[in-house]
Amino acid sequence: MTFPLPSQSKASNAAVVMITSSAIWGLLAAGLQTLSTIQLLLPVLSYFAPIPVLDYGHLAPAVSFLLIYGWITSGLLGVLMILVPRFSGIPFRYGRLLTGGAILWQVGVLSGLTGILGEGGTGIPFLPFLRPVTCIFLVSFLVLGTGITRGLGGSWKSGPLLPRLYLLGALISFPLGLGTAELLLRGGTTPGAVQIIVQLVWASVLQHLWLSPLALVLLFQLIPAMTGRATSSLSLGVLAWITTLGLGGWLSNTLASEGPLPSWLQSAGVVATLLLFVAVLGNGILLQPLLEGKMEEIKRNVALRFMSVGAWSYLAAYGWLAFLALPGVRQTTVFTMTSNTTQTLLIFLFWGSVLSGSVYALLPVARNMGWPSHPALTWHFWFTTIGAGMMVSGYALAGIFQGLALNDPGVPMGTVASYLRPFLVVVLIGQIVWWVGQMAFSSLLFSSLLKLFPSTAPMAVFPSENPASTTR
Amino acid sequence: MKSTQALAIVLLSLLLTWAGQVALGYFQVGKLEPVINEETNLREPPTPSGLAQTGARVFASEGCLECHSLSVRGPSGSPDLTRGWGERRSVSRDYLFREPALVGFSRIGPDLSNIGNRIKEPKDLMMHLYNPRNLKTTSTCPPHPWLFEMKLAGPKHESESLPIPRKDWKQVIPTYQAKALVAYLQSLNLNYSLPEAPLK
Ligand code: HEC
Repeated sequence: MTFPLPSQSKASNAAVVMITSSAIWGLLAAGLQTLSTIQLLLPVLSYFAPIPVLDYGHLAPAVSFLLIYGWITSGLLGVLMILVPRFSGIPFRYGRLLTGGAILWQVGVLSGLTGILGEGGTGIPFLPFLRPVTCIFLVSFLVLGTGITRGLGGSWKSGPLLPRLYLLGALISFPLGLGTAELLLRGGTTPGAVQIIVQLVWASVLQHLWLSPLALVLLFQLIPAMTGRATSSLSLGVLAWITTLGLGGWLSNTLASEGPLPSWLQSAGVVATLLLFVAVLGNGILLQPLLEGKMEEIKRNVALRFMSVGAWSYLAAYGWLAFLALPGVRQTTVFTMTSNTTQTLLIFLFWGSVLSGSVYALLPVARNMGWPSHPALTWHFWFTTIGAGMMVSGYALAGIFQGLALNDPGVPMGTVASYLRPFLVVVLIGQIVWWVGQMAFSSLLFSSLLKLFPSTAPMAVFPSENPASTTR
Repeated sequence: MKSTQALAIVLLSLLLTWAGQVALGYFQVGKLEPVINEETNLREPPTPSGLAQTGARVFASEGCLECHSLSVRGPSGSPDLTRGWGERRSVSRDYLFREPALVGFSRIGPDLSNIGNRIKEPKDLMMHLYNPRNLKTTSTCPPHPWLFEMKLAGPKHESESLPIPRKDWKQVIPTYQAKALVAYLQSLNLNYSLPEAPLK
């Protein structure tokens, strides 16, 4: 596929900062994650060498922080900085300012990480860092988000609507949510019982109103561009968008323990999860015909391959959440590793695959470069997909057995832990395999950016070269 | 759809998300007060000591929550209660004075809502923190020796040191963090009755 060589945009350096840092954080996070799984498998290690930084209680929050704020958020913001000026036709100005914002985000990730590994986390899910780090993230987002929004507003009418709708929702939900959570959770005035509710709302907002919508922007923009087909029903798409936005912020209530949470909130969470899954199926109906019969192209184009795994994982992740929300299931699986399953489905398979696909499709556009036709491309795809698949199935089985055992008071806690062991071995192997895949990607990324390879097979996809992307 | 319409929908759904849950939740559980125990005339749940409040932060920063939950589930006869994790279920009022209020999300180890009632002696909790296998030889709870200092024995430390035989002359002395964490663990108990969750 050929494409006109556009002049390097002002955002290009900022995007490269975000994308390369994202790759490094992903690698580091997966490495630390393997260490934390080893700790769970062999608790005796912590008796031989009790080192605070390598302790499970420090590693686990550091890993989830790095995955979400380092790998996924950096990466998605990076590819959007390439995509948005192109689909809007409005180039960024103030390139240096954007690069500064991008570097500041990485400073935030680094200080968050050192804080969690050194001093320890805050215990609050998805807000494991202290107030100064929140401020760094908000200031950085002010710069990056304003840059992206500018391109959005000026060009509302000139391209497909769905990606714009999801982008708008995400760009507003994140800063408002982070700011509100910070004030309510650490302002010192919110009563304890209400803090629990705020924590759950923030968890929902971050996952279902920020990261999932960002991934949907890329799915709805790039898949039509790559397959040359337009999404069929706009009204179904808009309906699914409204449902996602209206209900996404209620989902985490389902997964909470009922005691400390008012029971109507929990029921509302169950209803929201089930209805949102219907909306997700609606989006599935829109995405499926775009990919149908395109097997040849999916095989050839690594970007499209990752995007279709992302699309299927989107359905799987929300289907799994709906399954966990069913009343009988919820009683058994609350407080188990089924939540690791959810996280792996969302982070590694849905957001992560969409991120990888988008980097393959968009980075060449920003840097006038091509990806070499190197086997590392295929390794990246198969290792990360199979690795993540192993993690998901290992965690799911571990979680279900753990839930059944916890609900049988006759089984002592020590025995519950031993039930987990065989499944955690599968998870561990999956994590190592994934790490190898990410390593293949990182070496490809850095050598391509440094133009170490002759770019024999450029496979960039540029949305605006395709007529389908400009029709509604 | 116009961009202004889309913006209005986004803002409205965010308002419903936050206000619908946090504001309504506030009216329901935000104004809960402690109850007065008629026999002892004390407020329940009791306000934790300053040391215990510091300990709550140590508990969070050491990542105990990655393996221990802080919420006992009902109803009576439930697996949690049968396991002896509490004498009654946890309810919103139990979290009134928790700062930060944490429930946890994982049960690789047992729930700790009532640990102050299960392990009553502060020394035993100290021994567990330093090396859980001091109390139970098969325990898989990770040790936290970095919350302790090794100091040469002296009269000043005698009373605080852990009864652990060592080859050198040094003694195992809890740091301020360890003391705070133990004060917090002691404050975790569900041994008071609440109207919505009475002790049997
Ligand atoms: C890697 C997971 C893990 C972490 C992190 C962890 N624990 Fe544990 N803990 C366990 C397990 C598992 C048990 C049960 C061990 C057994 O009985 O075999 C346990 C048992 C306990 C017990 C004894 C409970 C009882 O009912 O007798 C206490 C007290 C305890 N942990 C406190 C803590 C504290 C305090 C922290 C943080 C400083 C902590 N744990 C961190 C896994 C963990």
